[in-house]
Amino acid sequence: MLSKITVSPAPHISQKLSTQRVMLDVLIGLLPAVVAAVFYFRLRAALVMAICVVSCMVSEWVCNVIRKKPNSLGDLSAVVTGLILAMSLPPQAPWWMCVIGSGFAIIIAKMLFGGLGANIFNPAMASRAFLAASFGALMTTWTVPATLGPVQYKGQETRVLAAIHAENCYESSDEQVALTQATPLAWSKTAQKANNVAGTTQATPMIGELEWMLKPAFYGSVGGCLGETSALALLVGGVYLLVRRTITFHIPAAVLIAAAVFAGIFYLVNPDKYANPAFHLVSGGMLICAFFIATDPVTAPLSAKGMWIFGAGVGALIMLIRLVGEYPEGVMYAILIMNAVTPLIDRACKLVPAGGKPHVQ
Amino acid sequence: MVEIRGKYTFPGGTHPPDNKHFSENCPIESVPVPKQVAVLLSQHLGAVCVSTVAKKDAVLAGQMIGKSDAFVSAPIHSPVNGTVKDITLLPHPVIGRTMGIVIDVDADNNEIKQPVNGGFDNTFNPGNYTVEQICKAVKEGGIVGMGGAGFPTRVKIEPNPAMPKEILLINACECEPFITCDYRVMLEWTWQFLAGVRLAARAAGCEKIRIGIEDNKPEAIEVITNAVEELGGMDDIQVVPVKTKYPQGGERQLIRSVLGKTVPTGSIPPTIGVCVLNVATCAAIAEAVVNNHPLTHRVVSVAGCAIAKPGNYYVPIGMRVEDLITHCGGLTETSAKVVMGGPMMGFAIADLSTPLTKTSGALTFLTKAAVTRAKYEKQQTPCIRCGRCLSVCPEHLNPTKIAHAVKHFRMDIAQDYYMSACIECGCCSYVCPANIEITGYIKTGKLLQARAKKRLG
Repeated sequence: MLSKITVSPAPHISQKLSTQRVMLDVLIGLLPAVVAAVFYFRLRAALVMAICVVSCMVSEWVCNVIRKKPNSLGDLSAVVTGLILAMSLPPQAPWWMCVIGSGFAIIIAKMLFGGLGANIFNPAMASRAFLAASFGALMTTWTVPATLGPVQYKGQETRVLAAIHAENCYESSDEQVALTQATPLAWSKTAQKANNVAGTTQATPMIGELEWMLKPAFYGSVGGCLGETSALALLVGGVYLLVRRTITFHIPAAVLIAAAVFAGIFYLVNPDKYANPAFHLVSGGMLICAFFIATDPVTAPLSAKGMWIFGAGVGALIMLIRLVGEYPEGVMYAILIMNAVTPLIDRACKLVPAGGKPHVQ
Repeated sequence: MVEIRGKYTFPGGTHPPDNKHFSENCPIESVPVPKQVAVLLSQHLGAVCVSTVAKKDAVLAGQMIGKSDAFVSAPIHSPVNGTVKDITLLPHPVIGRTMGIVIDVDADNNEIKQPVNGGFDNTFNPGNYTVEQICKAVKEGGIVGMGGAGFPTRVKIEPNPAMPKEILLINACECEPFITCDYRVMLEWTWQFLAGVRLAARAAGCEKIRIGIEDNKPEAIEVITNAVEELGGMDDIQVVPVKTKYPQGGERQLIRSVLGKTVPTGSIPPTIGVCVLNVATCAAIAEAVVNNHPLTHRVVSVAGCAIAKPGNYYVPIGMRVEDLITHCGGLTETSAKVVMGGPMMGFAIADLSTPLTKTSGALTFLTKAAVTRAKYEKQQTPCIRCGRCLSVCPEHLNPTKIAHAVKHFRMDIAQDYYMSACIECGCCSYVCPANIEITGYIKTGKLLQARAKKRLG
């Protein structure tokens, strides 16, 4: 029996928690959003997600084989990267774009930096930036959710819808013809720019008309990336992560508060030009960013104080890009910029021991 | 009605399953005297003792067999009547190998008696003993902190004009899972324990006595509170229930919880006027001062799934682990780890002939299931920087940063992140999802640092 006894440093017991379990929790947290995406975009959404996840896993496996490292697919981090990348792609994304994006995320943004835990940038966001730079048109083509037939556009908001219709184009993709639509944020951006031009005419979109979009944006029946549509589904998943303590409340709270404050100031200054903060919180990638992307532990600061700074930076940058910048949406760049300063935040927020700094080192 | 629920606590910490059920209801039981004991010469912090006996010398129970002239040290006594068989290198649970005295026990006249509150009740008056008497008995009795660190008690309680002590804090938390020895001492040797507490307070010149007990031991809180009431306010003693959280029994954490004070980093409690003693230590003080018995026996709790008969045993210090295992019915097939101490801070031993020391309060026998698979197979995955170790660290350190600095032999970075402030409680390793032995790395770092200093000095 002696031969069976092992030794190791204390502690000899551990919480039943593994990296795999953490990643699995993130996947479970994303499940409502996945269901919502499939509900609103049907087969296209399922295809995009499946292709991204599978090609991320294949990329990781290939990297491990080349680097002669043990197989790391078991930790599920590649699945999470694939799913988050899919969530940030438009539903019409062609299969080859998904494959290229996944390959970039895993090989360039993750494995070349040293694999899990060593990447500086969030792989999914780095890859999305790469795709946005390479295939700009494809990345900004937004399909109308399947639940919205063109019939619905003949409601009370005729004027708004007419404007949307004017933007519509019929784009022929591989196998089907899809109706495309501007996202709420693109709409808001157009309205902002129109407001900048003196002597606006009746035909230009008005920011006040966005109000009706608040409810569809919350439930998800608006155009956008797969993971951008349903705020409700993302909130459910976010609450699950918080309850499971997979993430702490610091980063989501900081992102949302900073964004709300930033948007609120602009709204109060000029409500005719800027949409109200509630609209900004539920539309676009704000919620998936707050709960799933900014909370990626590898690329976020370690300490609670650092997390507040990081989250506030992300929230403020998103709103800065949305309200002042050229792009309608700023999640991707906000995350990448804050990822880059994470080491600095970590260094600036060095913890002080409970007993204070020692006098003599 | 005694107030049980603890209101006070410290920031950080974790909640490992306490697993006290194995031995908490087992009364303290004496073990038969083993045929041979091996008394180590280094059972405390500070200078290692030198043997004062030679081979083939006859020794008596209670006879001093090892001593040192250093200030921070404690003499060693023989627990039995017998003959010195050998003075040799013996396995040590913490430092690997050290000198020790092997004693063959005489066949007769060696029954182990429990103190069983002998001579102690609510009429005990510590005023009958002078401060010098108490200090001398504690010094010569070789009493050290029996909670795990083994700091010579004499150094703690001797009056020191430079650092006057006001409060005596009794650490009765026993926050480690599995361990129940202090709990049983409080229940069964209540009066001896309280006598020791009051003697220590008298020696240290402490006006106030606070006893911190975790609220998962309601019976102990009740028994001690009632006993203190029976004393009728002879001393300012107060029982303070504290929240059940690991490491509530860490000295610095307990001071924070009970007194709301913070011990500065790198300092010891006396700098803020506090003296912290453990339950078993107090019981030993009473025995040494009143009965003139040096510290030769202690209560050891034996617990875990992998032992046939768990319980609390009163054993001679120097008894080998294998003898105690035999007495407890042997290891079961599934045992994976034998830990001297609790599972959070104890030391896994590979050699079952390792003797028990003054600081070994428990023997924990863990099964493969209790160790968890990842720990058993020692699978460490990359750090995902989740920050869990930072949030549980009771000393507000950055454990992952220190551990990774040590891993790459960057002692400068490790020290920059206050490596030496680590209390080695093990919370960080416990919560780590990547199963990194963070505490192990930090301990290694401290060791490397100490060696480097030695080489330079």
